[in-house]
Amino acid sequence: MKLLLAVLCAAAALPAQTLEQAESLWKQHRYYEANDAFRALVAAHPRNAEYRVRWGRLFLERYNAPEAAKLFNEALEIQPKQADALFGLAEVAANGFEAQAVVFAHKALDADPHLVGAQELLARVALEDNDPAKAAAEAHKALDMSPQATQARAILATIDWLNDKTDTPWDPHDGAGYETAARIFVLNRRYEEGIKLFRKAIAAQPDLWSAHSQLGINLMRLGREQEARAELELCYQNDYRDAATVNTLRLMDSYKNFVTYKTDRTILRLHKKEAELLHPYFEAEMLRALRTYDKKYGYKLDRPVQVEVYPDHEDFAVRTMGMPGLGALGVTFGYVVAMDSPSGRPPGTFHWASTLWHELSHVYVLNMTDFRVPRWFTEGLAVHEETAVSPEWGDRLDPHVIMAIKDKKLLPVAELDRGFVHPTYPAQVVVSYFEAGRMCDYINREWGWPKLLAMIHDFAGGASTPAVIEKELGIKPEEFDKRFLAALDADTKKTVDNFDEWRKGLKKVAEEYRAQDYEDMLRDGAGIRDMYPDFVEAGNVYQLLADACLAKGDKPGAIAELERYTKVGGRSPDTLKQLATLLEEAGNRKEAAAVLDRLNYIQPIDEDLHRRLGDLWLSLGNTAGAIREYQAVLAKSPTDPAVSHYNLARAYRSANRADAAKDELLLSLEAAPGFRPAQKMLLELSK
Amino acid sequence: MRLLEPVRRTTRHTFLCVLPLLFLTSAALPASTYYLTVSGLGGEPDYEQHFAMWANDIGKALKTAPDSKVETLVNATRDQVRAALDRLAGSTQPQDDLVLMLIGHGSFDGYDYKINLRGPDLSASELATLLDRIPARRQLVVDMTSSSGGAIQFLRKPGRVVIAATKSGTEKNATVFARYWIEALNDPAADSDKNDVVSALEAFRFADKKTAAFYESQNRLATEHAVLEDTGKGEAARAPSPENGEGMLAAQFPLLRIGATAAAAKDPAKLQLIAKKDELEQKIDKLKYDKAAIPPDEYKKQLTTLLLELARTQEEIDK
Repeated sequence: MKLLLAVLCAAAALPAQTLEQAESLWKQHRYYEANDAFRALVAAHPRNAEYRVRWGRLFLERYNAPEAAKLFNEALEIQPKQADALFGLAEVAANGFEAQAVVFAHKALDADPHLVGAQELLARVALEDNDPAKAAAEAHKALDMSPQATQARAILATIDWLNDKTDTPWDPHDGAGYETAARIFVLNRRYEEGIKLFRKAIAAQPDLWSAHSQLGINLMRLGREQEARAELELCYQNDYRDAATVNTLRLMDSYKNFVTYKTDRTILRLHKKEAELLHPYFEAEMLRALRTYDKKYGYKLDRPVQVEVYPDHEDFAVRTMGMPGLGALGVTFGYVVAMDSPSGRPPGTFHWASTLWHELSHVYVLNMTDFRVPRWFTEGLAVHEETAVSPEWGDRLDPHVIMAIKDKKLLPVAELDRGFVHPTYPAQVVVSYFEAGRMCDYINREWGWPKLLAMIHDFAGGASTPAVIEKELGIKPEEFDKRFLAALDADTKKTVDNFDEWRKGLKKVAEEYRAQDYEDMLRDGAGIRDMYPDFVEAGNVYQLLADACLAKGDKPGAIAELERYTKVGGRSPDTLKQLATLLEEAGNRKEAAAVLDRLNYIQPIDEDLHRRLGDLWLSLGNTAGAIREYQAVLAKSPTDPAVSHYNLARAYRSANRADAAKDELLLSLEAAPGFRPAQKMLLELSK
Repeated sequence: MRLLEPVRRTTRHTFLCVLPLLFLTSAALPASTYYLTVSGLGGEPDYEQHFAMWANDIGKALKTAPDSKVETLVNATRDQVRAALDRLAGSTQPQDDLVLMLIGHGSFDGYDYKINLRGPDLSASELATLLDRIPARRQLVVDMTSSSGGAIQFLRKPGRVVIAATKSGTEKNATVFARYWIEALNDPAADSDKNDVVSALEAFRFADKKTAAFYESQNRLATEHAVLEDTGKGEAARAPSPENGEGMLAAQFPLLRIGATAAAAKDPAKLQLIAKKDELEQKIDKLKYDKAAIPPDEYKKQLTTLLLELARTQEEIDK
């Protein structure tokens, strides 16, 4: 018996000699052996494109898209019109939300007009782009090729379901078909319905682990962590270990390192290493935003909003895996918001409060519309809200956007969703955010806020973008585009037209500064600054002008320049602190405090900031503010605990909270028993 | 280049808040301190400028302290460093203190560490030989260069505190520790126990914390991890403590005096009060040491009583 077993095992370990053997190993889920078999086959038949395509398919199934794409490309080098290889590349691109998916799918169909999968993929991409008419047309083409095309049926059924038409003749009655529908619902942020469809997919095919995984991930997104974990662990145990499953499980494991704070309206989850420091700032801002939006949207949320703040961007990225729009700072899943922490981004590059308000706007709009809102509109409104809070917030007109305007790459409103989901150039997502935001700004300016509210309600009723534009603004979408572009042109013309000159001018000004040619630099710099006032990134003219003023001993000039920088949204912590110092030196403590307080929304993890602001506010009589700032100093193990506790004691004393002040003095003196100012105050308070 | 008259000082230091009694050194030691700062080759204009600026900033910080005596070698050669250390060998006494601060780039080839100087470099083994010739029994070497961790094995010796900006010779990136070491010399916050003297340990902790905060604020992986060794035989520690046995000598090593601590001690009428103050401080140290074993309310009560008494005593001394 033992001998027989050994022989069988040895036979199984031999490399497969045929494609059938490799495929058989794959079907038996013996992936490593299948991989070896394909490797042996490709080595033995280096000019066989089909073997490479099948091997690529194995990689695609086992979550290794880069290797799969490599093999598909190798197959195309051997056989340039290998339809399955082209289709494989289309799938890789589609899974990564790349616009190239359509190009490859068309090429695949050119090579093999009967390739149903490629035709179905075109239908899927069109629906992802929120173009149901095109999606339906593509799906019907697939059904013409094969009436059994379940993915095409799934796309048609999804269109009906998205329109709340539950009774559809296109029900795929197939696990993978339901899974496709579920993914599109999730893409439309209709998570609850997506979850139901994932469940349906699993009911139809219990071993459809990709659906189990997505079910788990989406349950987790909505905060149902116990059930989510069960699904994900089931995947893991059944050897379905794609990056999304494994990373989500890891993220859930890391939740033990988070602290949760609750109010009747908010749930705030912060990493314990920064929880004490960030808690007051985030919670206060959440409550302020909710109060503002309650009134503005005329809508009351029916449960608390959960905000999760991740200091490690990779943890946050796990939350957005499998979603379009790479590089996001925040994401909203119904009542759950996940976002980067200010500590997760380089200082000055991230306005956390702006992101928070952006995401909380989504919470309202998504819930008001029951998640039936086109992407361009909810993103546009959220971007609009950023600058509605304060003109200094929100993103500036950046060089990518300028180039897109210059090259006339902005999309019509009816097609703008495409720019978010399947960008055709690298910066198109950023450009689409900008365009959508400016569209909402424009509607607000020309038609007023009530029209934007009415549009929300129209979308809730299932109306399309063209219909809503026509109904509420009284013009066709094409006319809207024309007027919007004219208005945008008027706003940005100076910068767009002078962009090349500005680039050259900026270089010249920087050279003049380096040469200490301050007179020329101040003269030229002001003109360059005004050509593109929104440019506040590193190397901006404001900073150069301020430094030149200081070099000439002109402090008021430097203050004026840095105030301009601040007002247009400059965020460099060093520059803002420099302005605060200059203002303080000029005796303008109130303005200095206001400048430092701005930094709390940008980079609050800064002991020096909180200490300085605490001192300023205490001297200005803002004891509540001073207490918050001094508490912030103590929240992250200060370099000088004795002085930090003493400062907080001073603030408490000023607020007539003698007992709290005494407690802080004890802590101060515990660290440094001989600290005279604390001794003196302790004696005074103990009299 | 000149070597001025040494500093005479009386000081009292405690080590860690948690275990101060173990290391209490209230004995007044008349001592002289010699400071030598060396900045090495920058290689690039930016580094040249920074290294020179840091070395000069250290000089300025030390000169603002009462009776400070300092020597600074900017963009030094090996011969200049040798000569300066030779002079110190001839002028210091066993009861004196020596502080050597090194700024620049360093290298470590797996065997020996070298600080990059104009012309030939200086190895850690040679530096150790030069330092061993100096009679000052208490020495502090602050090597703030890249790869400085590679120098510790050569420089460590009983009676010598060695601080390195990097935990090993393999941390090769340019360091920022020097920037925050200078801050420790200028910022009263470095004097964490508020006794008007910044000890070597306080300065180390201050600079280390600021260095870590720098990398954190820049969202960059830290490429330097400062360490301290002061037993002469142990492993350098990232966080010196009674548990790892490092930091005792550094806590007693007065790097910089920032106030008039000794004035009261000269008044015979106040000696009794000073003795009372010392006694109270020792009781507070003991109480803090026993904190874990005392119920919180009782601890707070006892601490309040002692701190009030100490405050009143200090008030009497200050009159």
